[in-house]
Amino acid sequence: MKVGQLSLEELRARLGSENGLRVKFGPFMVRIQSFLPSLVDLLHRLYAFYTLADDDIAEFHVQIVPKRSLRRPFTPFVQFLVDGQTPFPAAPAHQALTMLEWGINLAIAVRVNHLLLFHCAAVERNGHVLLLPAWPGSGKTTLCAALIHHGYRLFSDEFGLMDVQSGQFFPLPRLMPLKNQAIEVIRHFLPEVTLGPEIHGTLKGTVAHVRPPEDSIGREDEPATPRWIVFPKWMANQPLQLEEMPRSEAFLLLASNAFNYEVLGEAAFDAVTGLIQRCECRKLVYSDFDSVLTALNALTDD
Amino acid sequence: MVDWDGEFTVFQPAAGKTHFLNEMGLHILILLDRAPTTLEHLCQLLAERFSLLSDESFMQQIQQTLHRFEALGLVASANPPQ
Repeated sequence: MKVGQLSLEELRARLGSENGLRVKFGPFMVRIQSFLPSLVDLLHRLYAFYTLADDDIAEFHVQIVPKRSLRRPFTPFVQFLVDGQTPFPAAPAHQALTMLEWGINLAIAVRVNHLLLFHCAAVERNGHVLLLPAWPGSGKTTLCAALIHHGYRLFSDEFGLMDVQSGQFFPLPRLMPLKNQAIEVIRHFLPEVTLGPEIHGTLKGTVAHVRPPEDSIGREDEPATPRWIVFPKWMANQPLQLEEMPRSEAFLLLASNAFNYEVLGEAAFDAVTGLIQRCECRKLVYSDFDSVLTALNALTDD
Repeated sequence: MVDWDGEFTVFQPAAGKTHFLNEMGLHILILLDRAPTTLEHLCQLLAERFSLLSDESFMQQIQQTLHRFEALGLVASANPPQ
């Protein structure tokens, strides 16, 4: 059963219950609890395609709870909790969705060590995974949003989840937070996209979440092997460049932006080595979607 | 250790660290792994291997590299014999 098949009242009741709303995100089960009325409508719409995981053990227990601020006593605040811990400060209540999404991502980034976690977007085309590792601000979420509405399956805009034994990547198709100017860019380029509300004043400015396509969420149990690693960078008014990248540089960049590379030690070293040896590595500079889609389609064509 | 066309990644199990080396850096470790030696002799061997002049500037560069390697726990300086 999917979240969207619940009525609003059923969803509200689950969020407020001891059992919580249990949702499957790729390989993880998350229990969400909140009495915040504004979250109900948002989750009903944006989580509609996710599978309910009523009978599964949840790895992450998260809550959004009201919080009083002594400095701003008349402004409603909320606090994110994971297993009762508060990893970041309270924020105004209208930011509840961003807190929930970032909080779940943070919990995954900090706690998951049975998989090697790369900080990258990942999409699939023709049965193979294209990894897009990049630092914040490089436009990987925006590029990822464009790709998944043009024939690519979303694995994640944030995590590359690699099984170090098999070398396969697991999908984790979560909401994709567009920031600031990227929101209008995607609205214009992808009028069909389902976007959450614009949430102003967050640590990263204004954020609006893209709901992943139903097909990507429906296939969240289908892993795939990687074949291409492309390091993207958006630069205004630049002609498209897609150039081969030295493998040593690719290794350095990929290993240094994995969340748990040092924790996994030699297993991670071997996994990254094998990954780089098996994949084509490229550097990408782009400024418009049409040319980047043409170039990446050519790269990932059978 | 993995060779990426003349650049090398090396995993150091004791420290759980990955190191990136060029050919010169790798050769320093290989030579010292074979047998301890003096800075002068090491520079002489490296100069022969890479067809370089073993002058004062070269020795300073190698010494700096050895200090970095020592800080990373890849090599250890031995006290001169009494």
